[in-house]
Amino acid sequence: MDQQILNAIFIGSIYALFAVGYTLVFGVLDILNLAHSAVFMLGAAVTYSLVVNHGQAFWIACIVGIAVSAVMGLIIEYVCLRPLRRRKAPPIAALISTIGLALIIVAVIEQGQTGSLFSWLWVDGANSVAFPSGTFPNPTWHVGDLTLEAAKVAIIPISIVLMAVLGYVIRYTQVGRGLRAVAENPRAARLMGLDVDRMIALTLVISSALGGLAGILFGAALGDISPYIGRDNVEVRGLAVIVLGGMGSVPGAVVGGYLLGVIEVLALVALGSSARGGVAFAALFLMLVLRPQGLFGAQLRERI
Amino acid sequence: MKRLHLVTWLVAAVFVAACGSTGGGSTSTNSYSGKTIKLGAILSITGAGGVYGPQSRDGMNLAVKQINNSGGVNGAQIALTINDDASDKAQSAQVAQKLIQEEQDLALLGPTLSNSAVAVHPLAESLKTPILAVSTTGINIVPNCNTPSTVPCKYVFRDSLGEETAIPDDIKSYAADSHPATGVLLVAQDDKFSSDGGTIVQNTVGQYNIQLLKTIKFNKAEADLSPYVTQAVQLKPDVIFITSLGGIPAKIMTEARKQGWTGQFLGGNGFNTATVSKQAGAAGKGARSASAWYLGNNFASNADFVTAYKAEYNKDPDQFAAQGYAAIKILADAAKRANLTFSNLAGDRDKLRAAMETVNIQTPLGPFQFTSAHDVKQTVWVIAMDGQGGFTLVHQINAS
Amino acid sequence: MDFFVQLFTDPVAFWNSHTLLIAQIGINSIVASSMFIVLYSGQLSLAAPGFMAIGAYTSVLMDLYWHTPLALNIATGVLLAGVMGVLVGLPVLRLRGVFLAIATIGFIEALRLGVILNLPITGEGLGLKTIDSDPLNGIYLVLVCLAVVLFLVWRLTKGRLGAAWAAIRQDELAALSQGIHVARYKMIAFVLSAILAGFAGALEAHLQTFVDPGDQQYGVTRAVQVLSFAVLGGSGNFVGPVVGALVVTSLPWIFVQALNYINIVTGLFLIAVIVFRPQGIVGRGGLAIIRPWWWPRRNVRASSPG
Repeated sequence: MDQQILNAIFIGSIYALFAVGYTLVFGVLDILNLAHSAVFMLGAAVTYSLVVNHGQAFWIACIVGIAVSAVMGLIIEYVCLRPLRRRKAPPIAALISTIGLALIIVAVIEQGQTGSLFSWLWVDGANSVAFPSGTFPNPTWHVGDLTLEAAKVAIIPISIVLMAVLGYVIRYTQVGRGLRAVAENPRAARLMGLDVDRMIALTLVISSALGGLAGILFGAALGDISPYIGRDNVEVRGLAVIVLGGMGSVPGAVVGGYLLGVIEVLALVALGSSARGGVAFAALFLMLVLRPQGLFGAQLRERI
Repeated sequence: MKRLHLVTWLVAAVFVAACGSTGGGSTSTNSYSGKTIKLGAILSITGAGGVYGPQSRDGMNLAVKQINNSGGVNGAQIALTINDDASDKAQSAQVAQKLIQEEQDLALLGPTLSNSAVAVHPLAESLKTPILAVSTTGINIVPNCNTPSTVPCKYVFRDSLGEETAIPDDIKSYAADSHPATGVLLVAQDDKFSSDGGTIVQNTVGQYNIQLLKTIKFNKAEADLSPYVTQAVQLKPDVIFITSLGGIPAKIMTEARKQGWTGQFLGGNGFNTATVSKQAGAAGKGARSASAWYLGNNFASNADFVTAYKAEYNKDPDQFAAQGYAAIKILADAAKRANLTFSNLAGDRDKLRAAMETVNIQTPLGPFQFTSAHDVKQTVWVIAMDGQGGFTLVHQINAS
Repeated sequence: MDFFVQLFTDPVAFWNSHTLLIAQIGINSIVASSMFIVLYSGQLSLAAPGFMAIGAYTSVLMDLYWHTPLALNIATGVLLAGVMGVLVGLPVLRLRGVFLAIATIGFIEALRLGVILNLPITGEGLGLKTIDSDPLNGIYLVLVCLAVVLFLVWRLTKGRLGAAWAAIRQDELAALSQGIHVARYKMIAFVLSAILAGFAGALEAHLQTFVDPGDQQYGVTRAVQVLSFAVLGGSGNFVGPVVGALVVTSLPWIFVQALNYINIVTGLFLIAVIVFRPQGIVGRGGLAIIRPWWWPRRNVRASSPG
């Protein structure tokens, strides 16, 4: 049972890290970035590909993977979001636009096979692969009844540090104040002289970098990288987390992530594995119906 | 006058009969000359089944190449298309639709996974297209592909040894060797192959005095299997049964060893390829399963097959390659004897189907005939992973 | 391009070798009509796959256990989908925009992963095999049903319901102040769309040899596909989503060589359409949920939904 709690904390950290990016974009832009799960997958895929197909060292591959995710954030902004803002389209349009981009990203990786157009990026097609053992140090320790794997344990401090840094930036730095201003009222922020477009681009970059990193951690610690890891593991669960925690609230996303991890494991132990998936969405549905602003969210604004 | 007429007629009759038996009959060689036999294979080249599909493909392509280079089937060339279904049931059905209706293939092969066969085989049956399964070993593949309906499927065949034979043989041989007392079953409940294997395990263990402590079900797409492995390991069983396929067996075995468990892994057809053995590595050493083929078997055509395969692909064949190779040989033999017209697709498909029922040839799997249920009956090889990407032979169990 | 060559030079042979494709287009068109109704009334509901699942499973289960005639099975499936539509609609209709979308995603995944995967009677993860499915001749039933559905939807949008929906879509508050009972009309749209989706699901189960709780059948992937019918075809007009369904379903068959890149093309289309031509291929007067930047805001009268 204690091992199960550990499992819950590991996966909860990943949910939390992923959801923070999700909720950040929603908070600043009022937009649900459904390409986020594709960026999660892309971070993992690029890192894997660099290590296995291009022979790079793991740490370098990670940095490049995060960088690629950040660049993808810029692409999301310039291709999907900015043109719609220029045309004064409602948030729904952005939802659809990011769905389109997600389709493209997943399809590109899916078609990455030896001899195809995208083989420089990924060669394993729809297969599920894992980092070869020895790619990074991963000792296993036994403490009493518990088995602790270094890669999984490392997720916790990495996630916590990142989320703390993000919290600090948002609260105490000028950039963070700018982001909050845009979140509060973009028109006023622009009138005050803030470069709203740049703030938005920055939001997407930070959010996507975090998403990509979450993907790398997922791929490394859980040993599963495929074009579908975003769709299968975090795409809809991420929604559940931000609804639980309150959409737009970063602390809410953190708490929501761990909460979901724990709920799922409890359901698994108590009710069997099949209950695990349904629980998240039952919780999502209930929360939306009973308390749409989530645990930490402010009252919903009318314009939504 | 009458006698002369009679003699003339007699000579003419003999002349015609002689011509008939050497020249014009449709079972003589080259009667299909200039025609193409279109076959379509639905294989999992990517996705979970992607550890098996490429081998099936390689075996099939080798057979096609050999046949085409030595005169084809009665002079006709075989055109085989390999179609990837990405291990997805719905996509498999879509590919089948296209091959049957738009491509108008004479016959199909596959799909790789029993899970996909649930969708594809009844479709082929209702569209009256012969389909030869090359790696599906689940329950109710043949002859009852329409379960729960009891109407047997006439167009579905398979050359892959079923789990109903393989798993009990595997358990029996291990029980005789080591007398385990307890076991835990890990099964992917949303995959037909795994689920069927699980059912067979549950029905078999009692006969060998193995107590099944728990059946742990999970979903095949789940990345994080550690909670399930933890549950299994905590019960401290002698045996862990893994009836899954793809990347899952290696994951479970690696995780279980990491958590300190030292017992025996027993599995099904999902183990029987070098890719899985390699993925499992040291964690999988000694894991046993029952296979339909073994590299060193001494059936008549096996040695040639192994040599040709190695020459073509620079690696050893495995069970899936052997089954794919045999399948093409089977179809070619049936096509030869089927009096195909190449102008009436529906009629040709029916004729091919009938000819398949009477196939009797040598293959690397041994002497091959379909049972009345379109299934196979053959020697079983109990093998164990050697920890380095290969297998060692433990037992040979001859067909009874 | 052999596809089009055959279509125009030998329609009979084309029909015979594409019955399965045409049937699937028919089914997708019915689902697209379901999507049309909710989008036309201004609600971004992604619940269609969930109602399809209800229609499909009900129909198949009745056939498996009670051997009742097909018409009854489909009718029951449709009825149950409608009832679920009411039950799900009641709590979620107060939600707007993105929140409604998320709630409906929650519904379909809770149904798929929570309920269907756990009930032994639904075959759990393995799904069910249909025993009376008719892939070959089912096409006639589908096409007849499609014609009926399209006719009904057309009449509805021309009438009072359509006018009310259009008004609600433009501006809910304004519609309310005009005396339109917004909640009731939204509910009607939601339940109607549930019924249509359930109908499509039951029909689809009759055509296929299996029902399966996979993501591509009744999950988010299907919801995205159905949404793409409406976006690409345009949902200002009832024909739009049908055209969208036609195009999207046929693409993999037309571009056989480029099959692998279909999703990339679809994704590109989605982005291009939503940015440059939000009214979709067919729509003439602005997409139901999006007004293109150049569309003048004053010209809309509640009585002409075009």
